[in-house]
Amino acid sequence: MMKSFIAISLALGAAGASAQPTVNMPIVIELSGAGAVSGTNFRDGAVLAIEEINAKGGILKRKINAPQADTQSNPGISRAQVQKAIDGDPYVILGPVFSGSVKANMALAQQAEVPQIVGAEAAEITQAGNPYIFRTSFGQQMSMPKIANYLRDGLKARTVAVLWVNNDFGKGGRDTFVKEMAARNIKVVSDVSTESGQMDFAADVVKLKGANADAIFVYTNEEESARFLREARKQGIDKPLIGETTLLGQKVIDLAGPAANGARGHVGLSADAPVPAVLAFKEKFSKRFGYVPDHNGIKGYTGVYAVKYATEKIGRFDRKLLAKTLHGLTIKPEQEPGILMETTWDNNGDIDRISFLAEVVEGKQRIVQTLPKLGSGK
Amino acid sequence: MRPVLLFVGVALLIAAPFGLKPYGIYLLSLWAVMTIAAIGLNLTLGYAGQISLAQASFVGIGAYTAALLTTQGWPLGAAFALAALLCFVVGWLLGYPALRVAHHYLAFVTLSFATLVFLILRNEEWLTKGVYGISGIPRPALLGWSTKAPQDFYFFCLGVLALASIAAWWLLRSPWGRAFTALRENPIRASSLGIDTRRYTLMAFAIGSALGGVAGVLYAPLVQFIEPTAFTPGLSFNLLLMVIVGGAGRFFGPFLGAAVSVLLPEWLRFSEGLYLMLYAVFVMILLAFFPSGLLGLAERLRTSWPRSSKSAS
Repeated sequence: MMKSFIAISLALGAAGASAQPTVNMPIVIELSGAGAVSGTNFRDGAVLAIEEINAKGGILKRKINAPQADTQSNPGISRAQVQKAIDGDPYVILGPVFSGSVKANMALAQQAEVPQIVGAEAAEITQAGNPYIFRTSFGQQMSMPKIANYLRDGLKARTVAVLWVNNDFGKGGRDTFVKEMAARNIKVVSDVSTESGQMDFAADVVKLKGANADAIFVYTNEEESARFLREARKQGIDKPLIGETTLLGQKVIDLAGPAANGARGHVGLSADAPVPAVLAFKEKFSKRFGYVPDHNGIKGYTGVYAVKYATEKIGRFDRKLLAKTLHGLTIKPEQEPGILMETTWDNNGDIDRISFLAEVVEGKQRIVQTLPKLGSGK
Repeated sequence: MRPVLLFVGVALLIAAPFGLKPYGIYLLSLWAVMTIAAIGLNLTLGYAGQISLAQASFVGIGAYTAALLTTQGWPLGAAFALAALLCFVVGWLLGYPALRVAHHYLAFVTLSFATLVFLILRNEEWLTKGVYGISGIPRPALLGWSTKAPQDFYFFCLGVLALASIAAWWLLRSPWGRAFTALRENPIRASSLGIDTRRYTLMAFAIGSALGGVAGVLYAPLVQFIEPTAFTPGLSFNLLLMVIVGGAGRFFGPFLGAAVSVLLPEWLRFSEGLYLMLYAVFVMILLAFFPSGLLGLAERLRTSWPRSSKSAS
């Protein structure tokens, strides 16, 4: 017993050591459990960016060292891993993607004054006044107004039915969506909660059919979205099926097959965006990892390049200054090609950039319209 | 031999945080918390022989009690008292089905209960904040001693673990403990000897559950954020694993079992993508060849070693 204790203590103690001439950017991410698909995409996107930067000599002549830690999609374990990352004196922490995990560990990074570049989308993360948290995609409070405008102006919907997954992602999205509907006088006639990992959507589709709404808004995770689409087509739902990013994602299209055709909605980030830099990224990513990235791959990739750009702007490695610099910063692709699309961070760490309206046509996501940045009018 | 090992173990636990970074201290604190929950399950399962897949629910009830009370400004002591009482009563009620069914039937009854608790934690948003969880749970201060720092909170957890262990030790050496064992070994003989098997079955559930609640009260300020999915049957299975891997029905089993479950996966992380697989293989091999767990293995080594050395001489 004693021996193993000593061995464990030694191993734990040694884990935090870091090499001198590199810059430490640990990736704390979901590599197993329910978030593995999103987490692996985010990780691979970040790894691709890090390999490119290191091949060109690193940031300010220091190569990036990026140890990876799996959170098992569990908030308690993610907290331990962020603590481990902090013990290793990191410059920034990349991840996690799950909002629950971010909520469990963001206070630690804030205490240690380490900027944290996360993939989470729950609205409240950037509303707690944490100056060290930065998103890589829209929060729900940014994306839901866009989908609400589309329902009102694009579809001219008067009534809508909502199907959502009852976890922090789905519930958060549903609550924001319902609020946006009320603000636009669109009536929510059916509100259907489903389970994470649910297999059978027959009863839910019957309920939605009975509601006879002008449109159906679907907000569930990837696998469930695909199962829902198959059941909806089987029962012959002819109302527009509207989604936000996930419903139109590549993974859902792959799983749902022809049933995905006709699904529409808003995508904050898409590897199919009609932007040459994004398409080039998609090709590089597919070549390096052997699969087509989803939006999480772009999040990880652009997150690393944002850190690179801001650091080079400062001219030295200073965590506090990095956080300060990122607030209110706009990065254009002319300045830093790795950012792919012009991106702005506001003072809360929320992100603003162009987004897209899309439709699934013949098993492929097709971008129908590009929506401008929210702050572009100013 | 035993007192020496115990002394060395306690000394190591006290000395450990001085050589560790906050990450290691966090893991040791998590070990202490999980050990308390596993000691509770060991009473119910290991000693009294009643299988329960609901221990995580009691950890959850304890954690939510602590989170709700301390974020409203109540002291953690109040949470300990209320959570222990609440889990004792609910555990007692959950024991009633155990009077009628046993083994895998009982496992399913407790599993249903666990699902029920999860649904309440998730859907009764007015009380539990639902899937959003509760964040900003403060760490307690004891008579002016703030446990905010990782090391201080670890010693606080260790202190509660020591108290829980002493209480369990006392209980198991009392006639109660012998009654529990009698219940496990042969309920009919136990009742013919005048043991009120009904009362002791309910007690085994109630006390085991109360310890689960105590562990939950520590879990909330340790992670400082709780949400319903932390207390799904997955954690119950993990606690069951701790009890069995350590050695069910052996006092120090939960201590070792929790160490395997909490520390081993972390220790195996050097293998990167393989660490969970290595962990699974280790557990499979251990249980396939040594079903009585690590302590059963140690006992076997101790009894066979002197014999073989004697026969060699």
